[in-house]
Amino acid sequence: MTDKQTPQLALHCQSVSHWFGSKKVLYDVNLKIERGQFVSLVGPSGCGKSTLLRAIVGTHLPRKGNILVHSKEEGATPAPVTGPGRDRGIVYQHYSLFPFLTALENVAIGLKLDETNIPFRTFRWFAWRKLRKQHLKLAAEYLDRVKLGDAMHLYPHEMSGGMRQRVAIAQALVMKPEIILLDEPFGALDEATREELQRALLLLYAENKTALKQGEVPPFTLIIVTHELNEAIYVGDRLIGLSQYWDWQGEQLTESPGASIVYDVPSPVFDPDATRDFEIFEEQRDAVRNEVFDPNGKKPRIPVEA
Amino acid sequence: MIRRPISSLTRISLGILSVVCLLTWYSWLSHRQHIANPNDTTIPNWTQLTEGVKKTVTWNERTEERWLTDDAKATVIRLFSGLGIAVAGACLLGIGMGCLTPMEAFFHPPLSFLAKIPATAVLAVFMALVGLGMEMYITMIVFGILPSMAISVYQAVKEFPEELQYKAYTLGASHMEVIWTIIFPQVLPKLIDATRLMIGPAMVYLIAAEMLFGDVGFGYRIRIQSKLLSMNVVYPYLALLAGFGFIMDYMLKVFQRKISPWFEARH
Repeated sequence: MTDKQTPQLALHCQSVSHWFGSKKVLYDVNLKIERGQFVSLVGPSGCGKSTLLRAIVGTHLPRKGNILVHSKEEGATPAPVTGPGRDRGIVYQHYSLFPFLTALENVAIGLKLDETNIPFRTFRWFAWRKLRKQHLKLAAEYLDRVKLGDAMHLYPHEMSGGMRQRVAIAQALVMKPEIILLDEPFGALDEATREELQRALLLLYAENKTALKQGEVPPFTLIIVTHELNEAIYVGDRLIGLSQYWDWQGEQLTESPGASIVYDVPSPVFDPDATRDFEIFEEQRDAVRNEVFDPNGKKPRIPVEA
Repeated sequence: MIRRPISSLTRISLGILSVVCLLTWYSWLSHRQHIANPNDTTIPNWTQLTEGVKKTVTWNERTEERWLTDDAKATVIRLFSGLGIAVAGACLLGIGMGCLTPMEAFFHPPLSFLAKIPATAVLAVFMALVGLGMEMYITMIVFGILPSMAISVYQAVKEFPEELQYKAYTLGASHMEVIWTIIFPQVLPKLIDATRLMIGPAMVYLIAAEMLFGDVGFGYRIRIQSKLLSMNVVYPYLALLAGFGFIMDYMLKVFQRKISPWFEARH
């Protein structure tokens, strides 16, 4: 690395808490994600991983706390999350694509929705036609990037689950959002397809590394929620454990206040072309099992940085 | 084994056979009836039927009318005006109710109530309210099919997964864009299906209204000619109605396949 830049912030969760009635879910979650990081979020079921992700997407805002999205542009003030917006991309496990659009149209629709509106498309039809051509060209480039150049004109029902998730990733990428959120994106796929898609994400990480080497801002920042520890360690460069099992008694609380961050450790980054050897994950996997997933865990949570 | 596949040749031959059987059966029935009563008109033979068809298509100098074209024109205009208003209204109401919760709370209870009233039973009320003109036929069709159609459109919007709506917002869509660019194309094929299902009921309501209050139209002619026992006019009219319904259904199906090619294969 020739140029040691100060890492830029991409996302900042400030003291985020959430509860449903008397059921406490998230307690004082503080999280700073730097631009270019691939963060894996793991935790026992019911710990509120999805709640946190939905808070970041903005579809279900937290009861307490703020979430700020920092812009790539210099001098821009961070924008608080008040609802879903084009600065945060999302890839869901199911319903990831619009069924009435082909792969190419699914990728291009973000450009259409973001750059044009109904009056423009109706009254400036020729200008729209011209712009549409550019959109489709760009969408085709992104599909090529996720190795779907041959499947551009297929509808989602004609594609396999793995292909659909690839298109969904391209659909999010084409918008160049500040951060991309993946909610158990490969949960419904078979093992081989899963591995291919994990490699596809590592290729994006490799682009980040190249950009950093050239002294540029890394283009992709990503949070992946998963229940698969191997996937979490393999894809991410930072592993965060969210858990309701932590030493809340140590903070003078009388009842469990919900999940907080109990584990935050860098994880090894793999070369997408190297053979995967889950043996080397073993140590970290065991550590996560003990510190995040153990219902009798009594570890203090990660202290908030100043 | 049940549902054993058959060759297409067998399938077509059996289809033709069933039509031939039906025609033979009718001819035999008519023949028997004419042996009993040579002047019978309730089961007209083929010669009588041809005369009946001729009567409907020839210009009557004295009354200055040609039954078939006059009736078809009146009925078709009434039917399409009613259907058009009902489909457009159902689409607006259904999408509105599916997207806006206050609209849902306001319109859903009365619509689900109105959908249960048989439109034919309300005919007298329409006559009192809007008179005997074109308005009555349109009101009849709209009242008969709009509520249940609006509810099926509303349900189609409700079935639309929330994730896709959220995704559209993360792709920079405005509220109007979500409705027009994301929800409408998904609802359109279901709207066409609902229209196909509603052509039958719309014809029932229209024919009923024409039978009671019309002075021209398919329902009117069928009623008058039935009273005169001129079944050689009534039967061709019934065949025409069936053919019309069949063609409408087929055309909507083709339209749906053309405009939403993704839809059928998915199911």
